[in-house]
Amino acid sequence: MLTTVADPYQTSASAGKQRISRWRTNRVQEVFAGYLFITPAFISLFIFLVAPILAAFVLIFMRYDVLSPPTWVGTYNLSQIINDARLRDVYWNTLRFVVFATLFNNVLGLLLAMGVNRAMPSIIKYLLRTALFFPVLTTTASLALVWNFLLTQDRGVVNYLLQQIGLAPVPWLSSSTWAMVSVVMFDVWRACGFLMVIYLAGLQAIPEVLYEAASIDGASQFQRMRYITLPLISPTAFFAIIISLIGAAQVFDNVWVLTGGGPGDATRIVVLYIYEIGFKRFEMGYAAAVSLTLFVILIALTLFQFRLSRRWVHYD
Amino acid sequence: MSGLNEFMEKRTLSRRELLRWTAFASTGALLAACAPGVAPSATSDGGGATPAKAKVRIVATTQMPIDQWQPAIERAVEQLPDIDLLLTQTNISEGGWAGYSDRIVTQIAGGEQLDVIMIAIEGLGLLTDKKILAPLDDYFLADPAEKEILDNDIHPVLREMLQVDGKQMEYPFSWNNMVMYYNTAIFEEAGVEPPSRDWNWEDFLDTCLKVANVKGGADDRYAYSFWGSGMFGMAAWYFNNDTSPLNDTWTESNLTDPKVAETLQFLADLILKHRVSPNPQGWEEWAQFHAGHLAMRTCGRWCISGSLNEGFTTYDLQYQPHRAGPIKTVAGTDGWGIASATKTPEEAWAVTKFLSNKDASIDMTKSGGNIPALRSVAEMPLFAEYGPPNTAIFYESLDYAKTVPSPKNFNIVDPILNRHYQTIWNGEKSVEEALAAADAEVRAEMEKLQAGRSSFAGVSVGAVAMACDCAQ
Repeated sequence: MLTTVADPYQTSASAGKQRISRWRTNRVQEVFAGYLFITPAFISLFIFLVAPILAAFVLIFMRYDVLSPPTWVGTYNLSQIINDARLRDVYWNTLRFVVFATLFNNVLGLLLAMGVNRAMPSIIKYLLRTALFFPVLTTTASLALVWNFLLTQDRGVVNYLLQQIGLAPVPWLSSSTWAMVSVVMFDVWRACGFLMVIYLAGLQAIPEVLYEAASIDGASQFQRMRYITLPLISPTAFFAIIISLIGAAQVFDNVWVLTGGGPGDATRIVVLYIYEIGFKRFEMGYAAAVSLTLFVILIALTLFQFRLSRRWVHYD
Repeated sequence: MSGLNEFMEKRTLSRRELLRWTAFASTGALLAACAPGVAPSATSDGGGATPAKAKVRIVATTQMPIDQWQPAIERAVEQLPDIDLLLTQTNISEGGWAGYSDRIVTQIAGGEQLDVIMIAIEGLGLLTDKKILAPLDDYFLADPAEKEILDNDIHPVLREMLQVDGKQMEYPFSWNNMVMYYNTAIFEEAGVEPPSRDWNWEDFLDTCLKVANVKGGADDRYAYSFWGSGMFGMAAWYFNNDTSPLNDTWTESNLTDPKVAETLQFLADLILKHRVSPNPQGWEEWAQFHAGHLAMRTCGRWCISGSLNEGFTTYDLQYQPHRAGPIKTVAGTDGWGIASATKTPEEAWAVTKFLSNKDASIDMTKSGGNIPALRSVAEMPLFAEYGPPNTAIFYESLDYAKTVPSPKNFNIVDPILNRHYQTIWNGEKSVEEALAAADAEVRAEMEKLQAGRSSFAGVSVGAVAMACDCAQ
C-alpha cells in the first residue's frame, strides 16, 4: 500500500503562491476601483480644464472667428504680440493693479484679522467679522454698479460729500490716474475681507503659550508681533499672497463694470483685453496667444514666489 | 458581468462592491450627461398625442427705457398658437449695437438656435458677413401682401439701408435720427429764444453760455450733454460739419480730415473750455434732463419714452445745429431678419411678419419708441400726439438723412473711436493726439479687412452710405 504524504514544503509554497495570487487580484481590484472613483472627476477636469488649455495652445497657430473653421496661420499670432503696442500698456496697467491690490489686500487683511482677533464682546466680534466679510459674499457686478454710482464725477455721492466739506470734486472714473486708484480701492474693499478670514485662521492657530512666555520674558507688543506672530503666520501669508496675486492678475468683472477698461486704456487689464480680442474682435487665435503670455508670467511669478518663500516662510 | 451575477445569486453586496458599482453608475451618468441630447420627435404615433409646436427663438434688444417689443410678443404668443415662441432680449445700453451684435455671434457660436433676429444697420454688416442672416427676397416674392408693404409703405431709404449687395436682409421695422431736445422751461427762465431751424454752431454756443449755470456745486445746470461715444451720436455732429470718421464707402479712415478735428475740438471745448457740458463718461443725461439739470441733449425719438414715463412735458425739438454744408441728420434703421440656420423658416417668416406689422408699429409709437418704418403709421395723428409740438421733424428729417457709417467691422471700429474720444473729453490728450492714435488703429483694421486678415474677411461691403433722394 502506497501512502502518499504531502510534502510540507511543497504545500507551503503552493499556499504562498495562492496568497500572492489572491493579493494580486485584490490589489488589481483595488487599483481598478480607485481609478473608477477618480474617473468622473478626471473627465470633468479634462473637459472643462485640460481640453480648453490644449485647445488654446493649438489656437495660437490658427485664425479662428468662432463661426468659420479655423485656418492655420503659423506664428502670425505670436508675432502680433511683439507688434501690439496696446498690449504693453495693458500689461503695465495689470502690473500696477496686481502690485497695489495684492499689497493693500494683504496688509489690510492682516490688520483687520489682528483687529477682530482681539478680546472684545462676542456680539461685536461676530458683527465686525460679518460686516467685513459681507462684500465677499455679494456679486462683484452688483457692487461695482453701486461704486459706479457713488464715484460718478458730476452727480456721485462721494463727490457730493467732498463738495459739502469744501473740497473739489475728483474725477474718480474719468481721469486715467484716478480711475486706476478707484479700481484698486474697490478691489481692496471687496476682497480684503476674504484675506482677513485667512489671516484670522492663521492667527488663531498660534499657541497662546508662546505669547505668555514672551510676556514673561518682557517682550513688548512689537517684539511679540515681530518674533512670534509674523514668523508663525508666514505659511498663511504665503498662501494669501499667492492667491491674491493670481486673483488680481485674473480680475475681470471689477474693471468691466466699473470703468470698462477706460478712460482710453487706463484701466484695461490683460484679462479684459483677452476677452475683447476673443469675444469682440473674434480673433480667438490672438486671444489664445495673449493668454499664453499671461500663463507664462503667472507660472514664473508663482515659481519665483516659491523660491523666495524659502527665505521668509517658516513651517516649523 | 460576473460580479453582477454573483450579486444576483447572493442578494448581498459588500461595501467594496457597493462602492465599485457606485463608481460605475457615476461614470455612466456623467457620460450620459455629456452625450448630445436627442430632440423629442415631433411626430405623433397615432395615439392621439399632440404634435409638438415649432419652436422659434427671437433675439431682440430691450430698447430704452421702454420694452417696446413686449406687447407685440405677447400678442404673437396668443395669435400664433402653433408656434412656440422663445424670446431672448439683450440690453444695448452697454456697448450699443456693436456689443449687441457681438453677443449674437457668441450665442450662435455657443450652439444656440436663433431664428428671428432684431438688428440695426450698425450690426447688419457683421451678421451678413458671418452668414448669420438669410436674404428675405424669396419670402417677399412668395408673399405679395408683404411685398406690397415693403415696396409702398416703407421709404426707399429705409428699405435700402437694410440691403446688402442688393438683397433685402431684414424687414425694416423702425428707424431713428438725432435731433436736439431742449427744455422749454429753462429757455424761458433764462430769457432765451427757442432755437431756429437753421441755427449754426455759433448760435448753439451762444445759447449754451446763456442757459448754463455751472459753479461746481450739486445744483449745477449744464447747457448741453452729448453722447461722447457711439457712432450714431457722434455722427449727428460730424455730418453737420460735412464730414465723417470714415469715407463714403466705409472702407477707409477719414479721421485726418481737418473737419473731424474741428468737430471734436468744438465738443471738447464745451466741456473743458466753456464748461457748459459735463464729461459724458458716467453722466446720466436721461435723469438730469428730466430733473432740470440739463437744458439740451441730442437724441432720437426713443427718448420721448423716458419723458412719457416721467410725465415730463416742458421740452421741444429742433434740428441739430450745423457748421458746414446743408442740414444733415444721421439715420439708422433696424428690422427683423431670419437666421440662415433656422430649422423652421416658414414659422420664422410668420413671426417676422407679425413683429413688423402695423399693430407692433403703433405700440412702439405710443410708447415713445423709435420712428416706425411704416409710413402709414408715421402719418397717423397719434405719431404727433405722442411727442412734443415739433415732433413732425422726426419723420420729415428723413429728407436730410445720411446713413450712420456702418462698416462690417463696426464692432471693432466703434470701440476704437470711443476709447480715444474718452481721452479727449477728460483733457488728457489733445484732439490731434487722440485722432492720430485713433486713425492709426482704424487704418490698420481697415487694411486688415481689405487684406482678408481680420475675422471679417469674406463678403464685400454691401451697404454704403446714402443720403436721401427725396424724389424717391
